[in-house]
Amino acid sequence: MTQESRVQEFVRAFEGLRSEVEKVIVGHREIINHVLVGMFAGGHVLLEGVPGLGKTLLVKTLAEGLDLSFSRIQFTPDLMPADIIGTNIIVEDADGRKHFQFQPGPIFAHVLLADEINRATPKTQSALLEGMQESSVTVAGTSRPLPAPFFVLATQNPIEMEGTYPLPEAQLDRFLLKLRVRYPALEELNAIIDRTTQSRTVTVQQVMTGPAVLTFRELVREVPIASHVRDFASSIVMATHPQWDGAPEVSRRFVRYGASPRGAQALVLGAKVRALADGRYNVSVDDLRALAAPALRHRIILNFEGEAEGVDVDSLIAQIVESAAGAVTQTRETFLR
Amino acid sequence: MAQVDVLDRLVSTVSAQVRWRRAEHYGLRGAFYGALVAAAVLFFKAALGGVAIVVAAVVLVAAALAGGLAGFARRVPPAEAARLADRAFELQDRVATALEWAKREDRTPLVEALVTDATTRVEHLAPKQIVRRVLPREARALPLPLAAAVFFALAPPVPLPIPHLPDFSAAREDDPTPERAGTPMVQDTMRPLPKDPLKRPSFEERDFTARPGSPGAATTGDLSAIFKDTALAHQRPDFNSFLKKGDERLKMLEQLDRLPDLQSDFTSSQYKMVFRKSKALTGGLRPDQISPQKLRELLDEMERLGRKGGNWSPDAAEGMEALEGGNQDKALEAMEKALNKMRAQEEAQRSGKNLRGGREGDRAGSRSRGSEGGGPEDQDFGEGEGLLPGKGKSPSPKGEASRRLQASPYDASVEGDSRRGRKESYDTNMTGRGGKMPSRLQYLGVIGQYRKMMEDAITRESVPRDYHGQIRDYFQALDER
Repeated sequence: MTQESRVQEFVRAFEGLRSEVEKVIVGHREIINHVLVGMFAGGHVLLEGVPGLGKTLLVKTLAEGLDLSFSRIQFTPDLMPADIIGTNIIVEDADGRKHFQFQPGPIFAHVLLADEINRATPKTQSALLEGMQESSVTVAGTSRPLPAPFFVLATQNPIEMEGTYPLPEAQLDRFLLKLRVRYPALEELNAIIDRTTQSRTVTVQQVMTGPAVLTFRELVREVPIASHVRDFASSIVMATHPQWDGAPEVSRRFVRYGASPRGAQALVLGAKVRALADGRYNVSVDDLRALAAPALRHRIILNFEGEAEGVDVDSLIAQIVESAAGAVTQTRETFLR
Repeated sequence: MAQVDVLDRLVSTVSAQVRWRRAEHYGLRGAFYGALVAAAVLFFKAALGGVAIVVAAVVLVAAALAGGLAGFARRVPPAEAARLADRAFELQDRVATALEWAKREDRTPLVEALVTDATTRVEHLAPKQIVRRVLPREARALPLPLAAAVFFALAPPVPLPIPHLPDFSAAREDDPTPERAGTPMVQDTMRPLPKDPLKRPSFEERDFTARPGSPGAATTGDLSAIFKDTALAHQRPDFNSFLKKGDERLKMLEQLDRLPDLQSDFTSSQYKMVFRKSKALTGGLRPDQISPQKLRELLDEMERLGRKGGNWSPDAAEGMEALEGGNQDKALEAMEKALNKMRAQEEAQRSGKNLRGGREGDRAGSRSRGSEGGGPEDQDFGEGEGLLPGKGKSPSPKGEASRRLQASPYDASVEGDSRRGRKESYDTNMTGRGGKMPSRLQYLGVIGQYRKMMEDAITRESVPRDYHGQIRDYFQALDER
């Protein structure tokens, strides 16, 4: 198989899976794209939005399109870590002897939907940490690997709503992308009404298997990135740090902590998937621009002034990207000088 | 790798475009600075002669060429050119990435596909100029030095300025003073006069007023003869000190409050008008040197003014009688008395500004009662004296008040209690007869003057700045009372 055909196969798979999801989900094209980007990049995706926007339905539909095991955890305040990971229970064998047997929790699935993850306590939320980072969990001193591919899709309500626990920064950093699900437009709302209030049912076909996902993940990592494009990604991430010498004014003024190196990894990996989905063999600056907000918005912590002034992190990132791009495009202006 | 050659050709094409644009850019900058130099050369063409135009032209062309060559010779990094091509042809960094990764050892299998893809796209590109022209700031200003150069080239030669300026500084005592005229040195350094110089009157034609007692021969002849016998004879004019004094006068004119009010002081006051005449009459002269005729006229005028509303008319009449009797000393004495009365009446009329205040009438009444009730405090001020705070003089036979303060509490009317503090000071309390005495000053009439004096004092004296506010608050409190 030639490289061109590998890429074309990826493009077909990407578009096929997106088409299946769009059979159910109306609109949210960019959200669906980014969810697929997160999956092919090998990361996890956090979906944030008020109730009723179709976050859970999107994830369920995606799982239906994949020939993979799927489990769903509805996070509540009384949910315990063992309810997620699993626990050892005493079982009695045929001889009447009792012994401990591990009963795996719902985390042992290829696609895990952590619904309303911020309604559980931080202790329970952190039960996902090891699984998301290491693709394994440790119970009673025994490390148990999770099935591959392992893909967590979490939803959460905005933290301003009552009865929610903000996710710890360490756990937020484990998510490759954070997507904001917004209200549908008028036409999309009409389509939602038509599609969901009639007797006609939509069947989602499985278009991709687990091994195919793993193969595509390997292909993604082969995508070359030019040094100046990589420098642009690094500049964006570094510009989120107020202590950096080249940080723009907005960062110095409103940011307390900038993005971690995981942010740069997420940015570049996501850009590679986007390039492949576009049929390209290389990462461009535009890919980085498109992925900057989803990859960095949950990794930037505003300071008091930023919180007090209600600074929107997305607009902050946009300004940071422009400042970093200025350093890149400035070369063009200074080229003749 | 043959496919990369296509990409290299694209990069070379872009590099060449960049070089030409740079040549334009730096050539224009060179032309600007060359035009500046050319304009300067043409400005001094009087000194350079006909060569100036040639030199200017050569400088202009050479600077432009040098700038262009310098811009063209600058190196264009291939990676930069590739990025420029990617942006210009919307290749989404394909060329730059392909060129970079094709040379790397750790290239991935996708790089081959990338190079093929990039080459295919580049081969289908239509050649075009992708490097935009960037004009330097100097290019916008280039017409100015060019126009100046053309102007100087066409205009007649500009006369060169004189290298030496005249020395206006004051000459030192030990400076040798050259002869003004008639010496060869002066003739050598003399500037050529203009063709039609302004005609000045010769020294002989000037109208010098002969001074009484001075020999007439000194006023004629050369200028140095006037100062021959004076200290100025060997000094050169000191224009610096003249300018300095002028500056001081100008500064004085800016301080309006320090200027005398000539209108009110010398034209609106009868007393001051007469006083000025008397001063002009008697100034510096003995009584026997004063003109009796003018003294008579002055006494006559005073007597006439006194009849209109004053009490000095008898004194003036007495002076006239004494003058007719040949007693000029007595006439002068009578004139002085009349003057004093005029001054007293004028100051009494200025009650608003008079420190003696609203009880002036009472005191005048008590004074008119002679020795009936006039206390010692009424004798503190003579007529027309001690009217302004801090400026009057006390002719009291008891001496200065400050000395009396510690002599007798009853006499002084003020008792002082020593108090310790940052500085030793006194708390004064009015006791005895002084405590029951009515105020001799109209409070609201003088507090304004005291405040003004306070403002003058704290700006004039070395009062610490931190204390200014306290002092002002204190006087403000007095004003509000």
